[in-house]
Amino acid sequence: MPSLLDWRRRWHLRHAPPGPLRDYLEQPFAHPRTDYRHQEYLAIDLETTGLDSRRDLILSVGYVIVRGISIDLSTACHRVVRIDRSIPEASAVIHQITDDQSAQGGELIDVLTELLPVLAGRVMIAHHASIEQGFLSHACKRLWGRELFTPRVIDTQVLAHRTFERRQIPFKASDLRLHSLGSRYNLPRYGAHNALSDALAAAELFLAQAAYRDNGKGLRLGDFLC
Amino acid sequence: MDIELIEIQEFLASRPPFDQLPEETLARLPKHLSVRYFRRGTVFPPEDADQSYLYILRRGAVELRDPQGELVSKLAEGDLYDMQCGDAPQDASYRGMTAEDTLVYILPCADLSILRAEHAAFAEHFEQSVSNRLRKALDVMVDTPNAGTGLMTVRVRDMVNRAPITATPETSIREAAKIMSAHHVSSLMLMEGEHLAGMITDRDLRNRCVAVGLSIERPVREIMTEKLVTVDLETLGFQALIAMTRLNVHHLPVLDGKRVAGLISSTDLTRYQSANAIYLVGDIHRTNSIETLIQISAKITELQVHLIASGATANSVGQAISAITDAITLRLIEMAEADLGSPPVPYAWMAGGSQARREQSSHSDQDNALLIADHAQPEDDAYFAALAKFVNDGLAACGFIYCPGEVMASNPKWRQPLRIWHKYFANWIVKPEPMALMLSSVFFDLRAVHDPENLFEELQERILERSRTNRIFIAYMTANALKTRPPLGFFRNIVLIHGGDHDQTFDIKHRGLVPIIDLARIYALSAGIPETNTIERLQVAAERGVLSREGSANLIDAIEFIGTLRMRHQARQLRNGRGADNFLSPEDLSPLERGHLKEAFLLINTMQESLGQRHQAGRFA
Repeated sequence: MPSLLDWRRRWHLRHAPPGPLRDYLEQPFAHPRTDYRHQEYLAIDLETTGLDSRRDLILSVGYVIVRGISIDLSTACHRVVRIDRSIPEASAVIHQITDDQSAQGGELIDVLTELLPVLAGRVMIAHHASIEQGFLSHACKRLWGRELFTPRVIDTQVLAHRTFERRQIPFKASDLRLHSLGSRYNLPRYGAHNALSDALAAAELFLAQAAYRDNGKGLRLGDFLC
Repeated sequence: MDIELIEIQEFLASRPPFDQLPEETLARLPKHLSVRYFRRGTVFPPEDADQSYLYILRRGAVELRDPQGELVSKLAEGDLYDMQCGDAPQDASYRGMTAEDTLVYILPCADLSILRAEHAAFAEHFEQSVSNRLRKALDVMVDTPNAGTGLMTVRVRDMVNRAPITATPETSIREAAKIMSAHHVSSLMLMEGEHLAGMITDRDLRNRCVAVGLSIERPVREIMTEKLVTVDLETLGFQALIAMTRLNVHHLPVLDGKRVAGLISSTDLTRYQSANAIYLVGDIHRTNSIETLIQISAKITELQVHLIASGATANSVGQAISAITDAITLRLIEMAEADLGSPPVPYAWMAGGSQARREQSSHSDQDNALLIADHAQPEDDAYFAALAKFVNDGLAACGFIYCPGEVMASNPKWRQPLRIWHKYFANWIVKPEPMALMLSSVFFDLRAVHDPENLFEELQERILERSRTNRIFIAYMTANALKTRPPLGFFRNIVLIHGGDHDQTFDIKHRGLVPIIDLARIYALSAGIPETNTIERLQVAAERGVLSREGSANLIDAIEFIGTLRMRHQARQLRNGRGADNFLSPEDLSPLERGHLKEAFLLINTMQESLGQRHQAGRFA
């Protein structure tokens, strides 16, 4: 029996213009009862000029596919996006993308056209995923007139938050940052701060969080979804 | 091409064997990897893998155990687990488990095969056994001398260049002397068919014939030296030099298998400039003043730095320095006797510890004792007390500091007749109390430096007879030796020294060399082996079958590798005008050296385990 989610996907599909967005919606979304070890994921991170998805712009995109419990580095991808305004200094300090580098980057439409087929059918993994969801969605709306429908998302920050609450561990906001969580799980610390290394760090964090939850009795994708 | 897996590339680039790959291959390599994560306590390698992989530890630690549950290997950050990619079927009996939360990069064995096929230097790493890797590391270390040729690298083969001059032992002394004159040689080898029966030198003609009025018509057999120390064609020039220095002779017969290949003289050796050890010894023999001895011994430090720079291994340096200490000791004894007159009864001057093992580094402590003939009278002790004081003070003035444990001949306790020494050892062996164990590294490594009447031989025979037959003693010694374990996990910073002057270092002598020295001593004592030098002990132990050939060769490589690292560390400090110590920082080592050092530590650990089991050391731990 088709699920409510699948009905909604097909509704979006009918309204999507032909092109990347429509192709993306052709793929069914993952089922929450799937064994998480047999699911594929796309860990993704964006660097942006700010935090407001309506006013700020995507500067770069990094992503890598996670197949079950293994990150496939051959799929690692990093793209810088050309933007039509100068990069605010405040954000340049963080992501270190300069105007010159941005000028060498690809057009947003090309970057998203490349990304969407990779995301299709996979579960998105991101740390503080609302940023990625918001920016991608808004970009799609500007490019193709429709928002991006991303109902299957694992937010590693939300998972960490749940863990702290469940175990009644006192924590500060800074404890929920990607790198602080990484060191809790003995993950490598990547010096460079770019979209791909953060996407990779989020993917590794997900593997660690999954390993800590997995007691060998089997876990379902639904146990991780937002 | 993306820049971003650069951090993974850099991680690999700094580790052997990936450091052997060209830049462009390294840049592509991360794209062939996958990443996996295992909680602490997970079975390793994972049972759910879809194919065979090479595992590269990025974070965490893995312990591998044999079927008995003994730790055989511990993998840490940067280490590889390649058992699934071996040519031989993998040994499924080893069980691994992650000892920490662990993140690994995995490379399919098929990809590894391609890399191995395309990059020979990279492939080499996987083809060598642990012991081969260690041996090679040592070769690399000693084969890069600053001074191209020298006694460290030249072999006796290259210095023996003419057919040996020989005669039979039945030749008359006159005829022998004529042969020597005709060929302008100062020594003659005497052959019985293919067998080397003896040798005479100019000195023998003078001392044993002319001076005593022996008829020159007598056969030369009557004045020849029969017990000959020989070297073979592959002996390093340096080792020949050490042998001559030790024996105080100037000629050594050279054998090729059992056949005589020629003769090598000290003149042949001194043509090579790094022969300054023998110059130092020659100077010592000639001098009559303590001031000169002090000046000469001040050069020992310089000699150590020079020898290491010219590619000598730790054992060669130890041999050279110990030979010099012996010579200084002997000279001091001669000076004391010249001053005090002849000894009232025979005695032997014994050296203990590193001097006895011929493993000294510049200016070790002095450990020595006096063995006096049993018929000595109580009043004779005044003579020996004075002699001991003279020699101990002389050694101290030469920079061999007084032994902190007071193990010196000037201490009445260690200046005793043979029967008391017998009693001491009987006691130590029957009741190996902590005190005895503390002294064991001094007194169970014992050698006579000056012993004209061969008193020491009897003592040594009795010690070895007792130690060989007393299993409880051996078990005690073993338990004690196992208390010093190599710092297996030092890459993980858990056993580095924290705080103080030696922050973030480890003691390479105490944690690396002493365990091997202790092992070799136990093999020697349990099998009645008289050798004192650690490498010789290990060699003889293998010949007698108390230690496997493989185990012996590996331990010898390990002590040479660790010892040479230590000597280099000290040479570096001495060159910088600092005092030499044993505190090495892992950061002073290349990743490759760190890797080899860890393998050496693992090897020591394995050998300790097996010795512990054999001698049931657990009963006394």
